[in-house]
Order: sequence, then C-alpha cells, then structure tokens
Amino acid sequence: MNLASLLSKDRVNLSLKPGKKDDIIKDLVYIIKKGNDAELIVSTLLKREELGSTGIGKGIAIPHCRSLAVEKLEIAVGRTGKPVNFNSIDKKPVSLVFLIIAPPQDPGNQYLITLGKIVQIAKEITKKNLIQKAETPEEFITLINDIEKNLTKRK
Amino acid sequence: MPDVIEMHLKLLFDLDNLISDMEEPSYKKIGFQIEEEASLVLIRKRNDLLKKLPQEIAQAYEILKKRYRQAIAPVDSEFCLGCFQKLPTQLSARSQEIVTCPNCGRILYWRKKE
Ligand SMILES: [Zn+2]
Repeated sequence: MNLASLLSKDRVNLSLKPGKKDDIIKDLVYIIKKGNDAELIVSTLLKREELGSTGIGKGIAIPHCRSLAVEKLEIAVGRTGKPVNFNSIDKKPVSLVFLIIAPPQDPGNQYLITLGKIVQIAKEITKKNLIQKAETPEEFITLINDIEKNLTKRK
Repeated sequence: MPDVIEMHLKLLFDLDNLISDMEEPSYKKIGFQIEEEASLVLIRKRNDLLKKLPQEIAQAYEILKKRYRQAIAPVDSEFCLGCFQKLPTQLSARSQEIVTCPNCGRILYWRKKE
C-alpha cells in the first residue's frame, strides 16, 4: 500500500502547536478521532512511549500502536515550528511527528509493513534535510510520495 | 455494560495487543529503541488494569483470551465481529450487564456512531 494514499491534507498539520510530548501526541490523535476513542488511543500510545521513546533521532518521532478504536490503518502527521522534547534516542528535540494507529486485526500485516516504510521515509527526510521543506500539506504529501517512489525504485 | 468497565476492558485489550506486538520479531526488526525494563512495565500496567475490573469480568476476560486471541468483539448491524454470527435481537447496547456472544462467548461492545 502506498503511504501517500493513506494521507490526506486534513491529516497533515504543519503548524502544530509546540508543547509537551503528551500534548503533541494528543493533538495528532484528535485529528483522527474524538471523545472516548481518542482517549483510548492516547492512553495506549503513551504506554508504548513508556517502553522507549519512538523519537528515532534527528528531529523525527513515530508514535504508533494498535487500538480497537480504529477500524482501518490511520495516519496523521504534525510539524511544529519550535522543536519539542520527545526523549528521543539522540536526545534531540523533535519537530516532525508521524502518528500511526492500526486496528487490532490487520490482514496482511499492513501495520508493521507501513510502520517500517515510515521509518525508512523518515530516515530519507533527515538524510536530505527535508523536515522543513514542504510549505503546505499538499506539498508534504507530494514529498512523501516522491521519497516513497525513489525507495521502491532502489529495491 | 457500564462505560467505565467498557473503557477498562478496551484499555486492557489494547494493552494486550501492545504486549504481543512488542514480542513480534517483525516488529523488533523495525528497530525502535526499547528500554530494558519494558516487559516489567507492561506486566505492572496489565495487573493495574485487571485490578480495576470487577473480579468476575477480569476472570472471564482471561479465560476468553486463552481461547481466542481477541477476547472482546464489536457488534456491527447485529453481528458479532468475533465469530460473524448474527446475534439475537434482544441483546442490547444499553444493557448495564456484560453482554457476551451466545455463539463464541466473547465480550461484546457496541461501536458508537460518530
Ligand atoms: Zn461471537
């Protein structure tokens, strides 16, 4: 499955309010769900973060979990103007966050495949210094699409 | 079932999926950094959640979890999505009791319409 196809411009917020790590996660979840469903997802994501930060270094984090609050794979992306502390591996603050939530049952293991793909794309973004490149959600989705195409070609 | 019980069951269910993902080799291969004491943290969190549930519900959940990977199932248009059997019409989302599927026994919850 193509990652850019899972993203729509209303799932990309390039002016996310900087705040604490928990607030960033919460704001992104609320792009996808509201109410009890959102609270359930936030709670599971924060439990996952306690096991080790999903800040993969160089300014990017990829919080993720499965939750019965979603019925299909859901993705949201946020970028903050001012980097926020995410307890990342390299201790560097984070300004780009990919959030991925998968349903409990997931035929074909789309969740882990997509998660792996996001990690790869995130590494390309840091390598080429593209975190701040896109100016609009549309541009961001195009950027992701281009990186994904290049990665597929290389294989 | 009462909202607070439903929420705790769902939290427990999500936590159990988190636990099984953390043990999954294809998850580990992705390479997220995991703290050494992660599995202890998970066990502690699981016990905390179990304690918040009425004992008989916690026990029922544990028995069902051994039988099926997914101990609770949503209801969609009167079907149990655990076993895909049609449910008797008298089962109700508004019940204050725990409702289980007469066919597979899973604990049922009704998805809220958005
Ligand atoms: Zn059933």
